[in-house]
Amino acid sequence: MSTETTKERESDPNRDVPPDAAVAADEPKPYRKNASPEKGKTIIDMSAVTKTFFRGKEPLTVLDGLSLAIEEGAFEALMGPSGSGKSTLLNLIAGLDRPTSGKATVAGHDIGAMSDGELAKFRARHIGFIFQSYNLMPVLTARENVELPLLLTKLSGAERKKRAETALRVTGLENRMDHYPRQLSGGQEQRVAIARAIVHDPTILVCDEPTGDLDRKSADDILELLTKLNVDFKKTILMVTHDPAAAERATVTRHLNKGKLE
Amino acid sequence: MVPIKYNVRNLVVRKSTTAAAAFGLALVVFVFACALMLANGIERTLGRAASPDVVVVLRKGSDTEMTSTIEDKHVNLVLAQAAQIGASKKPVGVGEILAVVLLDKVGANGVSNVTVRGVTEDVLAFRPSAKIVEGRAANPGSDEVIIGKGLKGRFTGMTIGQSFELKKNRPMKVVGVFDDDGSAYESEVWADVHIVKQSFGRGSTVTSVRVRLDSASKFDAFKMLVEGDRQLGLVAMREADYVEKQSQATGIMLKILGGMIAFFFGVGAMIGATITMNAQVAGRSREIGTLRALGFSKGSILFSFLIESLVLSLAGGLVGAIAAVGMKAVKITMLNMGTFTEIVFGFEPTAPIIVSAVVLSAFMGLVGGFLPAVRAARVSPVEAMRG
Repeated sequence: MSTETTKERESDPNRDVPPDAAVAADEPKPYRKNASPEKGKTIIDMSAVTKTFFRGKEPLTVLDGLSLAIEEGAFEALMGPSGSGKSTLLNLIAGLDRPTSGKATVAGHDIGAMSDGELAKFRARHIGFIFQSYNLMPVLTARENVELPLLLTKLSGAERKKRAETALRVTGLENRMDHYPRQLSGGQEQRVAIARAIVHDPTILVCDEPTGDLDRKSADDILELLTKLNVDFKKTILMVTHDPAAAERATVTRHLNKGKLE
Repeated sequence: MVPIKYNVRNLVVRKSTTAAAAFGLALVVFVFACALMLANGIERTLGRAASPDVVVVLRKGSDTEMTSTIEDKHVNLVLAQAAQIGASKKPVGVGEILAVVLLDKVGANGVSNVTVRGVTEDVLAFRPSAKIVEGRAANPGSDEVIIGKGLKGRFTGMTIGQSFELKKNRPMKVVGVFDDDGSAYESEVWADVHIVKQSFGRGSTVTSVRVRLDSASKFDAFKMLVEGDRQLGLVAMREADYVEKQSQATGIMLKILGGMIAFFFGVGAMIGATITMNAQVAGRSREIGTLRALGFSKGSILFSFLIESLVLSLAGGLVGAIAAVGMKAVKITMLNMGTFTEIVFGFEPTAPIIVSAVVLSAFMGLVGGFLPAVRAARVSPVEAMRG
């Protein structure tokens, strides 16, 4: 039984021209609008994926032969009760973990076939993470936090700084760049985390309860920002949430129960 | 690479645990550097008393002047042999007698051995580095003495105008203080050789003869000549070798003692560094997981935490090294294991000592921080997702 819901959205007619056309091909492109995805291209393809954990000697199957295809440019919400396997599925898609069996292909990479080092490179290039608890480094300023993913590129210090500042401007934090996380509100911290997630222009934004720790107003602001990233900047977004208001923003909502899609 | 400021700021944020671990490391570096500085101090103090062209002649079988006896008539013979080989500077040499007196320490309970050297009237001409800095030279054949500046004020009677007893009812008056560039002679009393002989009942013997050859290269010929005369039963050695032998025992003892203390303290400090870094890793597992999720490799996490441990230990090491250099101002007296007399010397830092102390701290940091760094590198990126 499928409960996928799809909503139509208008795309932004005022698309920007990429500001830096001279960026080397192997480096992340500067954060930009107009990254129009190929219509209908599958970016996440899960086929009969199973994930089993062992509690002592007892196996615990969290994902049970799950198959799923997500198109580039989609904004999908993943809902389900606790223990249904949402986070496990998100971990697999984000390359944090490997499936026990089945095939998980994300951005053309077979997650199960990659080594730890290859997975790290895959995440650095293709995944932008947005966590429930923001997961900012408390000892680094907003700008330094946002620069972190760029340290894994060959960009110069000046270029890293420029891009971090651009990403913070996109998330509306141009006046908070030198603030430490403790000097920011929860909503502002999550905006820094979003800036960090987009600064290296990843293929997919993976959000784990992005509004879980926020009040309604801040949560709505964050959801607005995610919508903008999806509509204006054509980011593929996959969001795990318990919040029906958050799921409302997604173009597709999938429900997971006992390791299977409903 | 994870930016180093991330590690440094984490250490700064956790001030008290960082300070406690750094203090332990500083203490080890301090003890280690002090022991080496002390050994260096004693070697240099004794070494300064040696001239390259001076030869010490002792009774065969004697390691020190204390246990040697040479008859007066043989002294002239040795001086003649030196002149024969080539010793044109005057005086050619001196026959001296070494004795020990027990004196009360000033400002501390107890007594200690002080070396009294019975010297000839031309002692200052033979040792040009020794200069009177206070008072005047002693009159030959009198009960007057001059003292090394290391003794001044340290023992009862060791001040100009005061007296001490060489033997019971044999007071000696201090009339001058001499400086000898910080050498071991500065821990000696110089009295008239005849008075010392009488007082200690040494008859017509001295304990050593020193001769100054025209050049150090004439040593072998002189040695052959002196030692070749079996009837004399004497042995000749370069003053530098003699002094080295004297300082060896004390220097080695200090180095072993310092090394042992540094080792045991070091193990403790390394455990301290391990505990501190382990706490850092445990408290930051979600941060580490996040870094891993962002794409930082295991290797870069390992490296990052090793750097953090290194920064911690170098901070401690530098504090310890600076404190150790501050000990330069402190002079201490210690029993010279070669002569069993008091010798005054200081902590003498050298660049290699300070560098090796800081390198030791870096080593302790790396060893102590290794296991926690491995633990950090093993943190799963999934940790980032745990709320």
